[in-house]
Amino acid sequence: MDRMLYVSMSGAKEALLSQANNANNLANATTDGFKQDFNQFRAQHVEGPGWHTRSYSMGERPATDFSAGPIKVTGRSLDVATKENGYMAVLTPNGDEAYIRSASMQITADGQLVDVHGNPMLNAAGAPIVLPPVDHFEVGNDGTISVVPAGAPANEVVVLDQLRLVEPDHRQLEKGLDGFIRQKPGNDELGQANIRVINGALEGSNVNTVQALVTMIELTRKYEMQVKMMKTSKDHAGASDKILSIR
Amino acid sequence: MNRALYVAKTGLEAQQFRLAAISNNLANANTYGFKAGRAEFDDLLYQNVRMPGAQAGQDPANTLPSGLQLGVGVKAVGVQKIHTQGNLMITDNQLDLAIDGKGFFQVLDPEGNIMYTRDGSFQVNQNGDVVTSSGYLLEPNIQIPPNVTDISIARDGTVFAKEPGVAAPIDLGQIEIAMFINPAGLESVGQNMYYETIASGAPVVNNPNNEDAGALIQGALEASNVNTVEELIGMIEAQRTYEMNSKAISAADGMMQYLNNNV
Repeated sequence: MDRMLYVSMSGAKEALLSQANNANNLANATTDGFKQDFNQFRAQHVEGPGWHTRSYSMGERPATDFSAGPIKVTGRSLDVATKENGYMAVLTPNGDEAYIRSASMQITADGQLVDVHGNPMLNAAGAPIVLPPVDHFEVGNDGTISVVPAGAPANEVVVLDQLRLVEPDHRQLEKGLDGFIRQKPGNDELGQANIRVINGALEGSNVNTVQALVTMIELTRKYEMQVKMMKTSKDHAGASDKILSIR
Repeated sequence: MNRALYVAKTGLEAQQFRLAAISNNLANANTYGFKAGRAEFDDLLYQNVRMPGAQAGQDPANTLPSGLQLGVGVKAVGVQKIHTQGNLMITDNQLDLAIDGKGFFQVLDPEGNIMYTRDGSFQVNQNGDVVTSSGYLLEPNIQIPPNVTDISIARDGTVFAKEPGVAAPIDLGQIEIAMFINPAGLESVGQNMYYETIASGAPVVNNPNNEDAGALIQGALEASNVNTVEELIGMIEAQRTYEMNSKAISAADGMMQYLNNNV
């Protein structure tokens, strides 16, 4: 039996896996703040005695594309998106810090400022933000939270807190298995950065749908080529059997 | 079976959910006091197919730098109500009330629990009680005597009426409004009504136009805050994303078909 069958099979299997990754990007084409994942193939030699005649292909997610998505203006005062390379910080259920570029915030019954999934937003000191009852809520373009306390006249604006804003190096960011974006382990804690935010706007998903559709076609054809090779190896085996048959 | 099929399926479901939220907003574009909802999504977990740092060969130094983590799709987190003020429409009806600012009217459901609404198109039932268009009693109850002519409701919620031949207006009571720290956390139950939840917090009841409570405007109604242009754009986006995800399903199907036909 020719080993070529197994090499082609690995190619087909990796194309299937990559298709799932691409489908995940497409599925999140309208998820606010989503960052698309890259996908690549790598040749893996089969090590051992003799020539390296066999290289399996191996799919991997080398990184996530942290480029900005489109800014969508909503006009809601609790929606915030960051500009440039800035990120806001939220407290994950594990108790560590994760970074987001788009926050559709809410105020909970006990006055905590949370993102849409209920993760507390962090302030410049890295603590969850708690608000008194407010009439009016606004985020300045440096992340300053100013409110009009409940019952106060409309011109009595109180500066309460400031969102934690960081400017990480994209190469040092990674998306965890829970979908949160964090710094890779071993990096220093990030300081408060001087970046701009936009109040009343959200950042859409950065999935390039055209690219994803093209990738989908490419992966489909790549897969078909692998399957064709598997069929070829089947034909080879059939031909060998014919030679060896007595009549 | 093929992973991509299931991932793309979540994409289709999410867009369907979004379209349902958009349709509901558009259907209520002319509902008094209606607040638009926005569908919110979340990417699901990632599965580790290959651990970063796993052995890639027999040489211990040969490890995978990044591995392969595959996302398993998208899910709808919920529909978030956007509690911004709608436009005021002047109707000149004496019992039409709009709240200009924060707060909700309180009405009683048939079990006697308090419901909250921004829809102030009130009427009078056979007993003279002020009720909503669905017949729920306003809380606290206001009774309109049968023979009165002019009903005037001030910005602070005091209700006065004139009796024929009597110079002084009679005081019929006081309308109160309730405020919540997190109105987005209220539970919508239809008929423009909301119930309080743990997420919304407890209501703070106040007279209108007092402290942070909104003022009452008599003879006006609050239109819905649905931005139809935005909803139509959302509809286009949802439809096209749906189509792309269905293409991903066709592609996964095509791959399977090719395999079955050729091997």
